[in-house]
Amino acid sequence: MLKYIVGRLAVAIPTFLAVLLITFTLTTLSPFDPVAMMMQQYEGTLDAMQQKEVVQRLRNQYGLDNSFVVQFTKYVERITHGDLGISINGQRNVLRAIVKTFPISLQLGLAGALLTTLVGVPLGALAALKQNSWIDYTIVGSTLVFRSLPVFVLAPLLLVLFVLILGIMKVPRGWDGLFNPKTILPILILMLGPLPIIVRQTRSAVLDVFSQDYVRTAKMKGLHIWLIIFRHILRNALIPVVTTLGFVAEGLIIGTIFLDSIFAIPGFGALVEASFRNFDYPLIMGVTMVTSLMIILTNLLVDLVYPLLDPRIKLE
Amino acid sequence: MSQSASAPVLKSLDSPGALKPISKQRSLWGDAMRRLLRNRLSLIGLTITSLLLFAALFGPALAPYNYTDQDLLDVAQLPSRAHWLGTDEIGRDLFSRVLYGARTATLVAVFSTAVSVLIGLVLGVVAGYGGRWADAVVGRLTDIVMSMPSLLLAALIAVTLKEPIVTWAKGVYEQTHFPLFADTTWLDLLIVFGGLAFVQWPSYARLIRGQILSLRNEQYVQAAQSVGVSEITIALRHLLPNALGPVIVNMTFNLSSAMAAEAALSYLGVGVMPPQASWGNMIQSNIGSWSYRPWLVAVPALTLAIVTLGINFLGDGLNDALNPKSSKAI
Repeated sequence: MLKYIVGRLAVAIPTFLAVLLITFTLTTLSPFDPVAMMMQQYEGTLDAMQQKEVVQRLRNQYGLDNSFVVQFTKYVERITHGDLGISINGQRNVLRAIVKTFPISLQLGLAGALLTTLVGVPLGALAALKQNSWIDYTIVGSTLVFRSLPVFVLAPLLLVLFVLILGIMKVPRGWDGLFNPKTILPILILMLGPLPIIVRQTRSAVLDVFSQDYVRTAKMKGLHIWLIIFRHILRNALIPVVTTLGFVAEGLIIGTIFLDSIFAIPGFGALVEASFRNFDYPLIMGVTMVTSLMIILTNLLVDLVYPLLDPRIKLE
Repeated sequence: MSQSASAPVLKSLDSPGALKPISKQRSLWGDAMRRLLRNRLSLIGLTITSLLLFAALFGPALAPYNYTDQDLLDVAQLPSRAHWLGTDEIGRDLFSRVLYGARTATLVAVFSTAVSVLIGLVLGVVAGYGGRWADAVVGRLTDIVMSMPSLLLAALIAVTLKEPIVTWAKGVYEQTHFPLFADTTWLDLLIVFGGLAFVQWPSYARLIRGQILSLRNEQYVQAAQSVGVSEITIALRHLLPNALGPVIVNMTFNLSSAMAAEAALSYLGVGVMPPQASWGNMIQSNIGSWSYRPWLVAVPALTLAIVTLGINFLGDGLNDALNPKSSKAI
């Protein structure tokens, strides 16, 4: 088991480094010049000669005249020390901005993941048990609606429906903790995004297990259908569903980007959106790095948990 | 064997007035088409997709107004006879802009999907045929790209490459006065194509590699190999037709997610820039006023929702039609 964990880590760490390399290379191609940004504070106080001198000193200090490889290794080194730089807009410490906003989005995301599992697994199982009936078609067809439907499309439509047409809700804005009626609509919208993945995966997994010999044996023994479903089918069918967690995590992260500004939630998504809108490169690099890290860690977690759930999986 | 002999007979039977043969030979694709048309949801999907293509091709010609035309006396009007879907906050006809947006969305979806399929095909074939090392390299590459949030990666590519490319194009124009580079709005689209293609290719590379590896173990391929059929003939005659089904299904679903991704990039302000019409930037610029001008945001949002749903219905139908053995595993 230890060997397996080490092996998985040996894959995850280079992957993360490669992700850093991609973001770093892309930003060096960008028109963003950190020195020019820092020089803004001296505007009007230095003449051309002095300015040149300061620019040279800054370039030396930050090693911008070094080769690409040296710059990149220094960048990775700074990251390991937790230094993600300072944002252009408002001169905020990027790490601190992320640490401050992340817990809010994490709570919303976990609530969304929990809800999407609680709703998606029974729906998927039901669709499989009633395969090719109208129930199956309705479930599969209606979850297709949410496949690839972005949050910024769903959110205004649901707002118009719930607030203007039905009038059952006040305009939800802001953040007062997770257990507040304001979060009902955001969590509902978040959970609908990954729902189709869960429903389809559960459906096909249940169909798969349903044709296994031990299920037929259980049926022949005269076991009650609910007992078969819970004890024999769901337990085995849920294993492959775990593998979709990576996609679910990505869906939730992308979802919060649009959700936060629409509902005025001061979360991680709002930070991501602001970084792109303001072309705030240090912030963009920071948030991209953190989201990639989340996805890599989720996949790592799936890889580690999977053999525990399914003993047939060989540890390599 | 008897096929070539019976072909002329079939031809004469097909001529008007002749008796129809009892069992006509069915092709793989004809069969798939029949299954597709029997499914009601995929018919709806087919209709919506055709309407979208029609709007993308002829929309600008059919649109009652130009997408930039402003009617300053009729700002933010509800739908009326003159403006079928109303006007936006600066007096542009919403119906016309939705039609122009259909062209933007379709262009981005079709081109980014085509480019990513091409990249994925090449890398998938390399991984499937190239031996252990090539397979490992392509596998790592797909892992890396897939471990980045696709939308953020595409946005990062768009945001970092846009200015260098536009500066370059302007430089080219100043030197050569080549008319293509006079207006750089098409570069916006090109950058969005590139960014989306870059995040979409891994799924194709994986799919095609998997198809090659699993199909090569099929008995009919081994039979062909054992009687000395060349690898290229096997690839074209046996692997390609069988691998094409899943790829087509994936492409269809990809069209709708590319469309959503284009809207998302434009929504974030890094995709198609205003005044160019994109459903994403139309939603973005009107989302703040949803409570008192709901139709301004609802029209582009509903359009995008209906179109992606239609394409997904079509993809689902194609999945059932082309992979009859699968149980909606996608």
